[in-house]
Amino acid sequence: MHRSVEHSNTATSESETIAELRLRLSEAEETLDAIRNGEVDAVVVGGVSGQQVYTLENADRPYRVLIEQMQEGAVTLARDGTLLYCNMRFASLLGIGREQLTGRPIFDQVALDDLAAFEALLARQDGAGRAAELTLVAHDGHPVPVNVSAVDLRVEEHGPHLICCVVTDLTHSRLRSHELAAANARLASEIEERRRAEESLDVALDAAGMGSWDLDLTTDRVRRSRRFGQIFGEIERGGGSGLGLLLAPFVDEDRQAVAAAFAGAQRSGLVEFEKRIRRPGETGVRWVHVKGRTHYVADRPVRIAGVVSDVTERRLVQQQLHQAQKMEAIGQLTGGMAHDFNNLLMVIGGNIDLLEGRIGQDNRSARYLAAARQGVERGATLNQQLLAFARRQDLDVRAVCIDELLVSFGNLLRRAVGEAVTVEIKAAPQRWMCKTDPHQFETAILNLAINARDAMPDGGTLTLSTERRDLDASAASLHGVEAGSYVVGIVADTGTGMAADTLGRVFEPFFTTKDIGKGTGLGLSQVYGFAKQSGGFVAVDSEVGVGTSFQIYLPSTQEVVATPATQDAMPQIRGAGNVLVVEDDANVRDVTCELLRGLGYHVLEADSARAALALVEREASIDLVLSDVIMPGGMNGLDLARQLRTTRSDLPVLLSSGYTAQQFGLHETLEGVELLRKPYTLSALSRAVERLIQPS
Amino acid sequence: MNDDGVEMPVRYMLRLFVTGTTPRSTRAIENMKHICEENLEGQYDLEVIDVYADPEATKELQVVATPTLVKVLPEPLRRIIGDLSDRERVLAGLNLLPRR
Repeated sequence: MHRSVEHSNTATSESETIAELRLRLSEAEETLDAIRNGEVDAVVVGGVSGQQVYTLENADRPYRVLIEQMQEGAVTLARDGTLLYCNMRFASLLGIGREQLTGRPIFDQVALDDLAAFEALLARQDGAGRAAELTLVAHDGHPVPVNVSAVDLRVEEHGPHLICCVVTDLTHSRLRSHELAAANARLASEIEERRRAEESLDVALDAAGMGSWDLDLTTDRVRRSRRFGQIFGEIERGGGSGLGLLLAPFVDEDRQAVAAAFAGAQRSGLVEFEKRIRRPGETGVRWVHVKGRTHYVADRPVRIAGVVSDVTERRLVQQQLHQAQKMEAIGQLTGGMAHDFNNLLMVIGGNIDLLEGRIGQDNRSARYLAAARQGVERGATLNQQLLAFARRQDLDVRAVCIDELLVSFGNLLRRAVGEAVTVEIKAAPQRWMCKTDPHQFETAILNLAINARDAMPDGGTLTLSTERRDLDASAASLHGVEAGSYVVGIVADTGTGMAADTLGRVFEPFFTTKDIGKGTGLGLSQVYGFAKQSGGFVAVDSEVGVGTSFQIYLPSTQEVVATPATQDAMPQIRGAGNVLVVEDDANVRDVTCELLRGLGYHVLEADSARAALALVEREASIDLVLSDVIMPGGMNGLDLARQLRTTRSDLPVLLSSGYTAQQFGLHETLEGVELLRKPYTLSALSRAVERLIQPS
Repeated sequence: MNDDGVEMPVRYMLRLFVTGTTPRSTRAIENMKHICEENLEGQYDLEVIDVYADPEATKELQVVATPTLVKVLPEPLRRIIGDLSDRERVLAGLNLLPRR
């Protein structure tokens, strides 16, 4: 069974082999027929060096067509650069016929500068592809920029190496890149121009002391100029929110308003405010003025940019100006009031003098009269202080060494301030001279000392010292004085100090922080007016709980000290002669006339300067004219005196006024003219009249 | 599909040897594509081999000219030379015609 199966298997195998062989034969025949009938494109031949593919005639036509028609130049070169083949495109690129190119060295068409590079391209033999950008020379000599990519090609095993090149025309892309480069250059120059504009803007802003800032609302970043940093002090760089960085330097009380201003700017398109900042490491505040504009893109705010300047100085000057204007106005008011007040005192005092002559030696009456006269004197003193503030007093200005004054004044000061206060006088070793009225200076120091005492109820130290300080033009103009050298008298206490609002008003007349009845409110006004009238000013520094320092600036001088002449008290003299009294105020005129008659003079009256001139013309016997300075009717006492100088040079004139001699330009002493300050006493009047009528 | 109808459907492994884009090679590729789609839908793997790119591939299957279609599977191995435009001959070579 097994055997028969084996036999049967063998028989099957034999028949299968025959069938297989038949099949193979027919396949081989088919193959031969196909080759013979040209049904194949290529035959594959096995050899020692592997399978070789032989393409039959025309089978590679598509490749030829591809190479011929493609829009890149194709070139086959021999190793020595001889052109063996090129396609149409390459020939048209150079504008030379293929028949002329073939067989000639390619180097003829390569630009001189690129010959070496082209040779290098050919010389490489590592079989790898390589490329280079070169310039070829066309038929008419114009350059053709190309990219040449080359590859070694060995067609036959032992045949020569050929080099195949694909040549890409770069004329258009070069043109495009030239255009691109030109566009780039244009852009660069525009950027440069803009940068310069920004730079010159920065320079201009810097010159104007302005910083610039630019807040980008979309990124919330802020750009700040160098000057911005200087104005705000050293500011934090980078990081954090843009608006936050802008807001940070403002003082707590102002920050919310500044944030609101920026928020409002997004709608309104503008931002402008003047607010306070505090620089890092500085205690004082500074004022900055910020102004900016919002920029919109499609109605959406995208950035706010603007400038900032430090206006602290301007505000300070403004403040000083306001203060000066206020003080000037108060001075005008005070001066006018003091003038009328003087006339009233004149009437009261004169009538008291007259009454005294008529009332007997009754003790009680004498006491009443003395009390009334004392009242008039106190009123006159007050008035004097008012006039001092209004700068309408007579100043006896001379060269003074205030250190000497302070030393000699020391005892009086110590008595005035009491035992609880220690008085230290630090006299400078140099004898600095300044121009001032020594009596007014002493009054000023006394006023300051009394204020200092009141500021130190529990005792303390009062220090008086002098310094010499030079003020430049800007510092001087801040105080309305001339630049130059000043001697500064300093009165400093260790008292309670003053708050800023008090400090701003201390020099106003009748401004007082003392209890009612304790101060007139005129002490510091006198200091202020006196310093101003002396050509200086008074400055004050104060800190609550630490103390106050007043500095009286007086113009320095090189003049030597003049010994003050002392006036002797003169006895009342009974005189004789004709006196013309010129006074527009009937009450004052009456009392003056009565006083003169009481002294024994014959009196004529006139209510105006013109009336007086008429009288003088008529009455040759007049020995003296006593005239008020301020009078209505277009001619004042001074005009009258000048007129009389020309018409009656022998006739002496006595002017009386509550105002200063200086104010009326009486610096030039008119021969025979004297000034009698209102309110005057009977004895003062007597002395003046007597002296003028009977010149010694 | 066969006469007795019990044979399982077989998967054809076919290789077409061509030389680049020569005219007969491109025609052979196109013809082969049609024949396969119409007669062997879903049951063939066709590899097209460019003998320019890989001349050694001809050795194993003893290909001497292009284009040549080789039926590797199912056995027996069969070579059909030419551009495969004679449809009858191709189908016969692939054993897809009833035997006479």
